[in-house]
Amino acid sequence: MLTIGTLANIKHILQKELFNANGNSGSGERLLSVVTVTKTFKKKDKRACYLCVVSTAPPVPVVTLCLVKQSEQRESEYKRKRSWQLDEIKWIDGRNEQFETHEFDIQLEKLYKWYALNLHERQNFLAVLNRQIQKYVRGPHRAEFRNVPLAWLSEKSPEKLAAGRAGSAGNAVQKPHNSDDEDDEEEAQEFTALTDKEANELGKLFSECDFAIKDAEQFIEQLSKELHDLDGANMQSVLASEQKVLKMMEHIDNAITEADKFETRLDSYEDILGHVKETMEKIGGKNAMIEIANNNNIKLMRELNKVISQLDLPHSQQQALDDPDLKTASGRKAAITAAQCLQQAMNSDIDPTLLRLEAVQDQRKRFEKWKQKFSATVSRFLNNLFIHLGNEIGDMPLTSTELTLPNHSNVHRELTPYTELMHWSKAMDRKTYDGLMRVYTASLSKIYDRDVRNFFNLAKLQVSDKLRSSREDLDMSSSSRKSAVSTIPYGTLGINREQWGPGVDSADRVRFDALLEKVLAELEPIALQEQLFCINFFQMDVISPTTKNTQTTLEVGKDKDKGNEMSQSFNASMVSPTDGAAVPQKRLDRQINEDVRKLMMGLFGCLEPELVSFIQSFERVDSFYSLYVLVRLTQHVMSAQDTHSFLSMTFASALVQVKRNFDRFMQQQLQSIKEAKLPKRSKAILPYVENFENFAQTAEGIFRKSDRRTDMEKWYLQLVNAIFEGISMHSQEHPKTPSQVVRMENYHHMYALLAQLKVPGLDALKKEAKLRYNDALKAYVTQYFGRPLEKLNQFFEGVQQKVAQGVKETEISYQMAFSKQELRKVISQYPAREVKKGLENLYKKVDKHLCEEENLLQVVWHAMQEEFIAQYNYLEERIQKCYAGAMINLEFNIQDILAFFSDIARSH
Amino acid sequence: MREYKIVVLGSGGVGKSALTVQFVQCIFVEKYDPTIEDSYRKQVEVDGQQCMLEILDTAGTEQFTAMRDLYMKNGQGFVLVYSITAQSTFNDLQDLREQILRVKDTDDVPMVLVGNKCDLEEERVVGKDLGKSLANQFNCAFMETSAKAKVNVNDIFYDLVRQINKKSPEKKQKKPKKSLCVLL
Repeated sequence: MLTIGTLANIKHILQKELFNANGNSGSGERLLSVVTVTKTFKKKDKRACYLCVVSTAPPVPVVTLCLVKQSEQRESEYKRKRSWQLDEIKWIDGRNEQFETHEFDIQLEKLYKWYALNLHERQNFLAVLNRQIQKYVRGPHRAEFRNVPLAWLSEKSPEKLAAGRAGSAGNAVQKPHNSDDEDDEEEAQEFTALTDKEANELGKLFSECDFAIKDAEQFIEQLSKELHDLDGANMQSVLASEQKVLKMMEHIDNAITEADKFETRLDSYEDILGHVKETMEKIGGKNAMIEIANNNNIKLMRELNKVISQLDLPHSQQQALDDPDLKTASGRKAAITAAQCLQQAMNSDIDPTLLRLEAVQDQRKRFEKWKQKFSATVSRFLNNLFIHLGNEIGDMPLTSTELTLPNHSNVHRELTPYTELMHWSKAMDRKTYDGLMRVYTASLSKIYDRDVRNFFNLAKLQVSDKLRSSREDLDMSSSSRKSAVSTIPYGTLGINREQWGPGVDSADRVRFDALLEKVLAELEPIALQEQLFCINFFQMDVISPTTKNTQTTLEVGKDKDKGNEMSQSFNASMVSPTDGAAVPQKRLDRQINEDVRKLMMGLFGCLEPELVSFIQSFERVDSFYSLYVLVRLTQHVMSAQDTHSFLSMTFASALVQVKRNFDRFMQQQLQSIKEAKLPKRSKAILPYVENFENFAQTAEGIFRKSDRRTDMEKWYLQLVNAIFEGISMHSQEHPKTPSQVVRMENYHHMYALLAQLKVPGLDALKKEAKLRYNDALKAYVTQYFGRPLEKLNQFFEGVQQKVAQGVKETEISYQMAFSKQELRKVISQYPAREVKKGLENLYKKVDKHLCEEENLLQVVWHAMQEEFIAQYNYLEERIQKCYAGAMINLEFNIQDILAFFSDIARSH
Repeated sequence: MREYKIVVLGSGGVGKSALTVQFVQCIFVEKYDPTIEDSYRKQVEVDGQQCMLEILDTAGTEQFTAMRDLYMKNGQGFVLVYSITAQSTFNDLQDLREQILRVKDTDDVPMVLVGNKCDLEEERVVGKDLGKSLANQFNCAFMETSAKAKVNVNDIFYDLVRQINKKSPEKKQKKPKKSLCVLL
């Protein structure tokens, strides 16, 4: 059991070690009461701990309940385990009102059950705790004390006093407690350490009375004497101060009343100020409202100004719209200006919500009326003008017999001043615009139709004129054939020239070509001029941004894409923002081109059929027309700058037609070669070989410098190949001439022609022709020259056989059949005279075989001479080998042979 | 023998004629001459069947675009050619295809997308994947070819013949009904 002394000791130690302000871990707290306890609910841990009531230092004391434990490692160290605020205590249960009860419970966040080791400590602790709770905890949180003797809870209980006295034995506090406050104060002073000053004073006192140590009696006496003096002085000063205190009290009373007065005044001021503040706030609010209203008014004003200024149409312009004078330049100018202002007004940039304003809508309706009226006037006027211009020109007689297309720039000049009106009506009244465009197309197309037809008629006439003049001489010379005009077109390769229908010569072709060139050249500027005018006049290079009849921003929009439409540019060169970059631009261009083309098609509807018919008119005259028309037209189509224009495409379409005709013509030629039949009285040179010369020269004349050579060369290849095949085939069928001769002469002809043409694509075929010619020549010579010394040849063939059987060449003469006598006998059959006679006959035969045109007789004769010499040399060589030293020779020598050949050739 | 009308389309200079001539005559034409219009006939055997191909080699230059409608109307299968060395020739095909579908008034037209000049790899500007994805979009066959190196040339036309066969199998020729005598 701990004694009171140890308890006091513990309290002291804890205060010093744990709570003291000067200590390391302390926080300037004061320990009010401590009880040494063990936890009853923990049987094992019987170690004592300390439950303390602690107060922080004044002026704002905070009282806490805290649990302190002694450190397990070091006896002298204490640790604060837990602490609770007083209001956390729900209730305290003393278990029993008997003094000898050790246990007590405290309900905090949970129920703690304690066992106090010392009963006095317990009593003191509970009493102090109660007092602190009464003092600091107010209201419903105040903890409830149960089963605690009531006497302990009332402060003046004798037990407490006794306990207090007993508990604080040896401490400085010994005075009886008078009141709660004093008691508190007393307790507050309980452990106040000596301040430095006091310590000094005390030290000084002791030093002054250093004798005291020697003589305590004297010291006590002196101290009591001094105390007495001080008491006296104190009493006196107390008595003296009473008057002053009274006076001061009076002053204080005065001050209080003054303060009261002052306070009331302050109250009244505050009252007044309160009103002022309220008023000020109200005024502030009003001001803000006024400012907002003002700003709004300004904005509204500005907006209205904008709307009004945009929608305002000056009176003069109204008049110009109402009664436009489109005939005079000045009237036109005014009308155009007014119309443009109207357009601008109808497309003003006004907030969509403002469009709902009735005034705006009224104005729009007014605009609409003006627009309609003006548009109608313009429409009527231009309508009449178009028709008038069309009729005016239509009435003019066509005087010109020259091959020219009349120029209508005067119409364009007349209309140019109205261009802006046209643009206006495109934007503002699409229907009128479309209608006007139709009227224009109708009026002008009538004129162009007439012009173009007339133009082509003239051109056709010139073709047939030329035809007639060129035919005259032809007709005169062969009037007999006139009655049965052949259906076989002129120039057909596979047919004999005599059977051809009438044709034209190259000079005519040059004239036709020039005529075609003139026609094409005439068409181009006229079409271009009209196209340019239309693009400008009808503003066709601008894609309309809207499908609506009238471009206006003033309609109350139901369509959501209106903004989009508006943001689309009026200028075609700009790209609409919704699409990408380059591709839509291309598409836009294409759309424009398409529109322009459509318009041009309307204006020049008859141009393409007329052009095609004109070109076909050549066909009747000249089957070769497709060649030079192809070349001529290609020049115009391929060199065109505006490849997508109406004229370019019209020409291109015609060109495709011509190309087809060209291919067809070539196909016919090819077919005619394949199907060619040999005429009964046929010449050596086959008709297609003969005709090909003319054909190729004509074609070359046309294609020589053209870009279309390739087209022609493709056909050359096919034609020449077909000719070669034809020669091979027909050479077998020829009635009189031997096939070798036919081949030889025809291939020679082809070779000569191809060499002369110098067409690079035909080089291989040229070589082929030469090869075939040489083969044919060789075959002919071999066949017809044969072996004029036949028996000699046979003799030596026999010799060769013997040699082959193993007889030595030198021993041949010992064979019966091949003796020298036999040889001499055979040789004697071929005297020089006979040989020459034979050759002469051969020459006549060859001469009969060969035709004069090819002039191959000398060539063939020479080849035969070579052949004869070769045979002669062979025989001589054999004789020398087999009958060496026998002095046997033929009856003529090489000189003789050469003489024979040249004599025969010369004599014919 | 069944006849197949094939039309070769595409911008100027992509090698339409080179491909056609290479297929028909097995020659590579080096020189560039703008075509006006050439037609060829060639007999081939596809899947054991003799076919007569009538190939129309068309003009690529802009002037001749007016003729296209007619070509498209008459053609049964189409070869759409671009050059892998020129982006614009590739871009032009979209419109061409739309035009074909418009003229034919159907979504299913036998067609082959062809990226020509694939021998000029170092000058390539149109990637193969681009071609593939366009063919995907067109829902048609795709091949990169070279008329010069003779790569995939025959395949174009064979593929097209198969497509035409698939789309419209040869109608068996019905025997003409004999007209019946009518007794009066």
